[in-house]
Amino acid sequence: MNIRCFPRKFSSALPPLVPLQLPSPMETHLWYILPNEVKSVALLNQYSELLSPCERENVNRMGGDQLKKRALLARALVRTTIARYQTNCQMNPRSLKFRKNIYGKPEVEWKNDDNFSPPPLHFNISHTSSMIACGVTVNVPIGIDVEGKQRKIKNDIIAFAQRYFSPCEVKLLTAISDSEIQRQEFIKLWTLKEAYVKALGKGFSAVPFKTFTIRFKASTIRCFHLPGNSVSEASEVIVESSDDPKNLPNNWQFALLEVAASHYVAICTEKDKIVGGEANRPMKLTVRKTIPFVEDVCVSGTDAVLVLGGIIEQ
Amino acid sequence: MASLTGASLNFTSLSSSFRRTQLPLRGISNVKSVSFPSLRMQPGFRVSCMAKPETVDKVCEIVRKQLALPDGSSLTGESKFAELGADSLDTVEIVMGLEEEFGISVEEDSAQSISTVQDAADLIEMLKEKNNA
Repeated sequence: MNIRCFPRKFSSALPPLVPLQLPSPMETHLWYILPNEVKSVALLNQYSELLSPCERENVNRMGGDQLKKRALLARALVRTTIARYQTNCQMNPRSLKFRKNIYGKPEVEWKNDDNFSPPPLHFNISHTSSMIACGVTVNVPIGIDVEGKQRKIKNDIIAFAQRYFSPCEVKLLTAISDSEIQRQEFIKLWTLKEAYVKALGKGFSAVPFKTFTIRFKASTIRCFHLPGNSVSEASEVIVESSDDPKNLPNNWQFALLEVAASHYVAICTEKDKIVGGEANRPMKLTVRKTIPFVEDVCVSGTDAVLVLGGIIEQ
Repeated sequence: MASLTGASLNFTSLSSSFRRTQLPLRGISNVKSVSFPSLRMQPGFRVSCMAKPETVDKVCEIVRKQLALPDGSSLTGESKFAELGADSLDTVEIVMGLEEEFGISVEEDSAQSISTVQDAADLIEMLKEKNNA
């Protein structure tokens, strides 16, 4: 498959995008694409038409077809997903503009019209060779990270942890005698730490990995939930400063998931102060597998989404 | 900018010829390290220390291994990590590999400014020289 992105003079008719309701406060929407499921070259070419010239150039610079496809799908996912959330009018995914904040975190650049009030929408993307994911929230920042469960670490895990993780985390990993379990726990920890730094949005040098500890804590929260909703009361995931563990930045909540039996996905969002109530409400989560313009499948509450950490309501 | 690059080229050739005789380069290398710290913060700013070809080759070797690049795939100083498919975990693993190979310590903000193989090689040379100063 020779994948090349080129602008076409006549856009072939793309089906309209099915509009979406914005997530409610304290709710996270997680979208993911499995690149292996997207095989149609015609569809990929249609996706490339949605990209800005700059994005197309970036895609073309990637080394090899698989990397080009991954980069293309990531942009297509972000553009189509955000365009679908427009409540005022149907937004063209092609016309969305993106920029980076002063720390380099990507965000939407909403147009400055009198009649147009931009939705308080936040997003973050992550991709590996076999999954591209986009998390969406309202009002609060979000960070996500995706890693393949089978990912092998080239360096020695403990040496790596000693170099980059906090002493508490090194201790935890060192205590695991089974090397396979140790590798899995390492990856879970990595995704959680990445998600936290990405949610903070100030770049990696602002919050070096060593300066904070993420760990699991048995949940002592009694959650009230409506019948029919499933609330996973797995361990709560908390973050604390390495130097000053008692001073807990507790305005962040986490989810750690195993998705499609193949990937660890970590999500970090800021707690919405406006919503109020008890500080520890579950994170409402809706997970959808998608192929833009083709299908959405809601997989929340199915085997495709296993909650490994965090107080999550699906 | 051109004069800075010119100056650093001279430093490198001076330092490689003087290192064996241990003449004090402290003055020169101090000037270099004082001028650069703030510039290091700027994304995309490259310290053109004109890294030795062996250093670039070694970086390529480490990158090739980390990213499991197919044999015969093109990899040069200009190759960007992101375009080779490196994600953040790959980049950190590569930096760790470079630290171990060259006996250096790379700070978080320096690691963030590396986008090509050449950037990594140049940073290595700069850190090695700091170590030797």
